[in-house]
Amino acid sequence: MTTFTRRQFLGRTVLLTATSVLAACKPKPSPVVTPTPASAPTTATQTQITTPLPPIEVIALNRMAFGPRPGDLDYVRQIGFEAYVEEQLNPNDDDDPLATERLSQATLHIAYDGNSDYEGVDEDRPLFTLDQPLNKLWPLTNWEIPADYAERVRPGDETIVATWIRAVYSKWQLRELLVDFWHNHFNVNMGLSERLAAIWPIYDREVIRQHCLGNFRAFLEAVAQSQPMLYYLDNASSKASPANENYARELFELHTLGADNYYNDLYNRWRDVPGAEEGQPIGYIDQDVYEAARAFTGWTVADGSYSEAGELPNTGEFYYHEAWHDPYQKRVLGVEFDANQPPLADGRKVLDLVATHPATAHHLCTKLCRRLVADDPPQSLVDQAVATWMAAQAEPDQIKQTVRTILLSPEFAATWGQKVKRPLELLASFLRATNVDFRPSMDIFWIAGNMGQWLFNWVPPTGHPDRAGYWLSTNVTLNRWNTLLYLLADWHSMVEYDWWGQHPAGVTTSRQIVDFWLERLLGRPVADDVYQALLDFLRQERGPDVPPGGENDQDLNEKLANLVVLIAMMPDFQWR
Amino acid sequence: MKVTRRQFLIGCSAAIGAMAGGRLNGLAFAAQNETVTRDILVVLFLRGGCDGLSLLAPAGDPNYVAARNDDLRLGDGGFDPGLPLANPLAGLDFRLHPQAAPLRELYDSQQLAIVHACGLTNGTRSHFDAMDFMERGTPGDKTTPNGWLTRHLLLTNPTGLFPAVAAANSQPISMMGYPDGVAMYEPTSFSLQGHWKYGPMQQNLLRKFYTGNTPLHQAGLRTLNAMDTVDLHITRDSDGYPLPYQPENGVEYPSDYYLSGLDSSLKTVAQLIKMDVGLQVATIDYGGWDTHEEQAYIFPDQVNGLSRGIAAFYNDLSRYHGRLTMVVMSEFGRRLRENESRGTDHGHGNVMFVLGGNVNGGQMYGNWPGLATEQLDNGVDLAVTTDYRTVLSEIVVRRLANPQLSEVFPAFAGYQPLNLVRGSDLPIQ
Repeated sequence: MTTFTRRQFLGRTVLLTATSVLAACKPKPSPVVTPTPASAPTTATQTQITTPLPPIEVIALNRMAFGPRPGDLDYVRQIGFEAYVEEQLNPNDDDDPLATERLSQATLHIAYDGNSDYEGVDEDRPLFTLDQPLNKLWPLTNWEIPADYAERVRPGDETIVATWIRAVYSKWQLRELLVDFWHNHFNVNMGLSERLAAIWPIYDREVIRQHCLGNFRAFLEAVAQSQPMLYYLDNASSKASPANENYARELFELHTLGADNYYNDLYNRWRDVPGAEEGQPIGYIDQDVYEAARAFTGWTVADGSYSEAGELPNTGEFYYHEAWHDPYQKRVLGVEFDANQPPLADGRKVLDLVATHPATAHHLCTKLCRRLVADDPPQSLVDQAVATWMAAQAEPDQIKQTVRTILLSPEFAATWGQKVKRPLELLASFLRATNVDFRPSMDIFWIAGNMGQWLFNWVPPTGHPDRAGYWLSTNVTLNRWNTLLYLLADWHSMVEYDWWGQHPAGVTTSRQIVDFWLERLLGRPVADDVYQALLDFLRQERGPDVPPGGENDQDLNEKLANLVVLIAMMPDFQWR
Repeated sequence: MKVTRRQFLIGCSAAIGAMAGGRLNGLAFAAQNETVTRDILVVLFLRGGCDGLSLLAPAGDPNYVAARNDDLRLGDGGFDPGLPLANPLAGLDFRLHPQAAPLRELYDSQQLAIVHACGLTNGTRSHFDAMDFMERGTPGDKTTPNGWLTRHLLLTNPTGLFPAVAAANSQPISMMGYPDGVAMYEPTSFSLQGHWKYGPMQQNLLRKFYTGNTPLHQAGLRTLNAMDTVDLHITRDSDGYPLPYQPENGVEYPSDYYLSGLDSSLKTVAQLIKMDVGLQVATIDYGGWDTHEEQAYIFPDQVNGLSRGIAAFYNDLSRYHGRLTMVVMSEFGRRLRENESRGTDHGHGNVMFVLGGNVNGGQMYGNWPGLATEQLDNGVDLAVTTDYRTVLSEIVVRRLANPQLSEVFPAFAGYQPLNLVRGSDLPIQ
């Protein structure tokens, strides 16, 4: 059987006219993590606010949700912002009717040719892998069981589509936002191999969703023992000696302490790291990476790999392989590890040290504040979050408490326009505000990728940039505009619109229609000259206080649709 | 939905007239009022830390042989040996990777110079710090607000329409903060794909809406300007549709999957150079070099893609060799000794390539530090004996005619050209 990498496969089956999309797909033949250019961060210049601070419900629904759906602004006004925060911090899957219905009705196309081993398929199939346990998905990775590649990667595809459905339709918007945050923080490139795509629902469900409001130390171990991370950062093949340093390095640099606390100039002089002599070094050095890599040798996946001590089992579960472990004494962050510790003890001790380190609190809280408030969050806010994080280290809802502190801070309510929407946020907020019928296909993956967001397929372990610089290039900006036009033109058959049908009784004139859609998309007024331009676009030669006209019904429909998209293309809709 | 190309063009042309003003007169390669001629500089960055010791190494060195299995090192005999190089460093048997035959041709034809044991003097083994340091041009300092290419551009103040292009989704850090920087995957489709009637109206209104001074507004304006420039300069068929790019000299760019878009980026830069829109600096990225595991399955394809891609690009641009310089670099090399996953971990010193019509090619440059433990950095990695800024500053001075090194590379003292390229050493500032 010809085997394709996942992206080759997708590239072959998804028809997309924009050539730049295909140029952007980078098929990877083998497990390599490729750092791509760190995108240019924004410079010190910050977005200047030219519009007044919007009401708190607009801020809340744009920054702790993927934008308001019709009725959401009224709902938050009615129950109050603090009650809304509390509600969102306690998601309940039994009370999510719209998303549940959409997920149960959703289908995703699958098509492949048959051969002597299996029948060909060409059908719209319901989502069926999202709730499956590992022992049902793992056989998809077994090449001795005949299955088309499309079947093997189906769970990953379904997770992508489900993520979009939840972003647009789930009641539990804050959770969806945080799931996106943690998928980026603990980034894994699912496109690395079909193995990762086959079990992706497990990573999404049992690691990311399970812990997204929980305890960071527990989260960290769940990630460290997850098959996707073990494969992605090569720890699955790490054995004594020399160990593979990939995971250990990113554990310090990206997952916990952060590169700001990397003292590379000290290299092997660990006593010179401030605080080291007192057992509290403020940062890490290369030797900590080497030693931690040794501590994690033997943390692998029961995937049937060859080992001199016998073949590994093949269940897909996390597996500790004693024969690959480097058992001798180690020193990490100035702490001595005795030789010959019990199974898993070395790795767990490293996780204890990094999870509870003050630098980790600062790194993670800065990132959470950056996600929820501003590219460069105020130090006062980060300090409040760090205090909560540190005080709650032993508690099962440490992350929830920290997020609550951030959302209820004065800084959250006093900040606006310091974030540019990422593509998922841009499209989801557009789809929510316009209340269209959205039935995503895999095209949504390529469309967002064209704008720079490769859901679950970002190659370097940094996750997508969370500062505006990357999202404000000319290439991305053009694609942000074009994507809204593509959706409108329904090139991908994923949306159905009924613009006129949404107007309530009494909304008939050009002015009323512009007012209606501005309220829907922005929830706040725009500058006078902008308002006038939008009004002129719709009314053209007619007066503002009579219904707009067109050459025929179709022309009128197209004009209104293009007005709505124009509002979404404006700067006012592009930030949050 | 039908888009009538002609109608769309009218809207754009009106817009460009409004925005470009006098700039339209100065869009030739070098502005007419400038007496200085500068090369077009193309910076190709190998993202992920290319294993320079698999790309070019002294094949029989006993320390090299001892540290690596034969599938992770260049051989001096046997199956698939490395390609010997004329004029090697220190009289050693330096060999290029067998998949790099096109690069050896460029070397033998005196167009390509190679510097080994280059890199950051800062000791970081973090990809992201290393790229950050290198591209800001201030090793050890991540607070510098812009990139080294940005500072060069600001100092030379080019007046063309597209002085700086990243053939990528976004600009790299080396171009961070350059207000006229453009990121573009592909010029042919760089236009608003709107409704035939309402698209042009929307485009005009976007120009009205994106007039503020926030980074978001500036991005919109930059995008609209770039669309107009492409619209005015792209080659079209008789119906007004942009034609796909046609390379010269019968060149065919390789397009194997492992090119990972490198071919597309190279073509974009070639096309923009020929569009004559004042391109001074272009950046291209080629990823896939972070080979911690099973390196022998990955690296040969990567080298193949790199070598064929560069050769195609260079042959396509034969008319421009006299004013083209390309530099190939990576954030660091990799560990001398391989790990137990049959890969290599992050290292230090690495190789750099310089290609162009005014390059003193066919030679290796630098100082080979050796591979014995006591000669290695921290006892494990190839030492850095040539600061990467030494290579870049010679190009900046001699080929880009910019002597203001203290601005381009602050805190980098002592201009010491290796004589990699021809040109005059202006009084260094």
